[in-house]
Amino acid sequence: MVVRMVEAVGRTSIGAWQRFLGALEELGRATVIGLRGLANLFLPPVRLRLIIEQTEFIGVSSLPIILLTSAFTGAVFTLQSYRAFAIFGAEAMVGGTVGVALTRELGPTLTGLLVAGRAGSAMAAELGSMRVSEQIDALEAMAVDPVNYLVKPRLAASILSMPILTAIFDAVGVAGSYLVGVYLLGMSKPEFLVRLGDWVDWDDIWTGLFKATVFGLLMGVISCYKGYYTTGGAAGVGRATTSAVVVTSVSVLVTNFFIAWLLP
Amino acid sequence: MTDPHHVVDPVTGEEAAIVYEGVYKAFGDFEVLRGLDLVVPRGRITCVIGRSGTGKSVTIKHIMGLLRPDKGRIFVSGRDITAMSDRERRKVRLKFGMVFQNAALFDSLTVFDNVAFPLREHSKLSKAEIADRVQHMLAQVGLSGASSKFPSELSGGMRKRVGLARALIGNPEFLLYDEPTTGLDPILAAAMDALIADTQAANPELTSLVISHDMKAVLGIADKIVMLYEGRVVHEGTPDYFRNSDDALVRQFLEGSLDGPMKV
Ligand SMILES: Nc1ncnc2c1ncn2[C@@H]1O[C@H](COP(=O)(O)OP(=O)(O)O)[C@@H](O)[C@H]1O
Ligand SMILES: [Mg+2]
Repeated sequence: MVVRMVEAVGRTSIGAWQRFLGALEELGRATVIGLRGLANLFLPPVRLRLIIEQTEFIGVSSLPIILLTSAFTGAVFTLQSYRAFAIFGAEAMVGGTVGVALTRELGPTLTGLLVAGRAGSAMAAELGSMRVSEQIDALEAMAVDPVNYLVKPRLAASILSMPILTAIFDAVGVAGSYLVGVYLLGMSKPEFLVRLGDWVDWDDIWTGLFKATVFGLLMGVISCYKGYYTTGGAAGVGRATTSAVVVTSVSVLVTNFFIAWLLP
Repeated sequence: MTDPHHVVDPVTGEEAAIVYEGVYKAFGDFEVLRGLDLVVPRGRITCVIGRSGTGKSVTIKHIMGLLRPDKGRIFVSGRDITAMSDRERRKVRLKFGMVFQNAALFDSLTVFDNVAFPLREHSKLSKAEIADRVQHMLAQVGLSGASSKFPSELSGGMRKRVGLARALIGNPEFLLYDEPTTGLDPILAAAMDALIADTQAANPELTSLVISHDMKAVLGIADKIVMLYEGRVVHEGTPDYFRNSDDALVRQFLEGSLDGPMKV
């Protein structure tokens, strides 16, 4: 009885330990491919055309969802905070509150989550299917470094696109907020704009865009890593894609907290 | 094998171009290669046959360092590629062309761009020269009309021929074919075999290594046949040796019968 319990505890802890080691190994391999991708930014061939293509892909594929989400986020946030502020007659604070929340938190975080779902998944799926159909082997066989050819452009495009899309998110979100505040809730234009201008600092905007850049890096590294090391055929591509989105989303939320904590 | 740098192939009497010396490779607990010794003569067609899953693709991927052996050495033109730096290995890869089992064409590129890829990466030829060479090569494999198509628009047989064109375009010293006829109908398979033989006849310096599970097909084109079984070479010889062999394993493989030493 006691022996069985000890055995069971032993087995579980060995299992947990192995899972921990597995996670550590994954983290290590992801870091290595991320660093190799970044180092390749400074190594020839430059692959400018591929970088532009990938940036265009991420930007264009994500733009509709970013526009839609940002407009409605700004709108609903304005509606709710107006109702709350109205209780103690502070409706004028709506513009500023929404502006700060969007630029610092909602803009980068929601953009990170949305782009991970839209473009990160596509990157992981593309690299994954290139892996299982031996296209990555073919690159190596032709003496072309797949990290330089495949990972670098996607990494660069992710790092470049995320802040741009976040800036668009911020602007359209504020516009949505303005439309709801002024035309639906009947706030006066100066009332909305003065507080917006007073409260939103360049600091807020820069912090938000810095976060977005970090999220872009995370998405690029995680999606490329998951795709690059895909095994197990079509099912494996599906797993890699899902896991790229999930891991990126969690990393975005956790990193967001730590940046908010360290960069007040 | 006494001196792996200067080996003469016992079957053809030719100088060895590629030598495997006691190569072991396992994936996890699963041992694929268990002491593989293999000599590939220069300027000839060598065929490696074995059942699906015996490690034929694994064998071929070791030559260019796409996989690393757990134990053993592999010599290409007398130089041990397992002891090379990445940069040296990349140089060696330029001497190879590889036709992958499922062609491994780049989905995102047209047929023309696929075939032009190695030249664009590694040569300093002008656009016009590249276009000339690509068109010439496509004509050689009977695909002149398909240059602007994408791989997804091609049949399996056409894809393999594009793969061959891509492998040949850099004038390789060694040409590796992974199951060139698998998945083709008998007529296309015969056409592919003829193409392999013609390619060899047109380039007498070329060393060809063909991986196949179809013994009958390789009897017609091989100068040397090597039979792989349970991770080792069990028979090697000329096609006549295999035609006249009364070894149970060889007979079973030739006749595709269920009775014999190999179990399903
Ligand atoms: N990268 C890999 N990881 C794990 N197992 C592999 C890998 N490559 C091949 N194998 C396994 O090795 C065995 C031999 O594979 P392969 O060389 O592709 O066989 P074939 O002779 O049909 O070409 C198979 O059982 C395959 O599942
Ligand atoms: Mg195979």
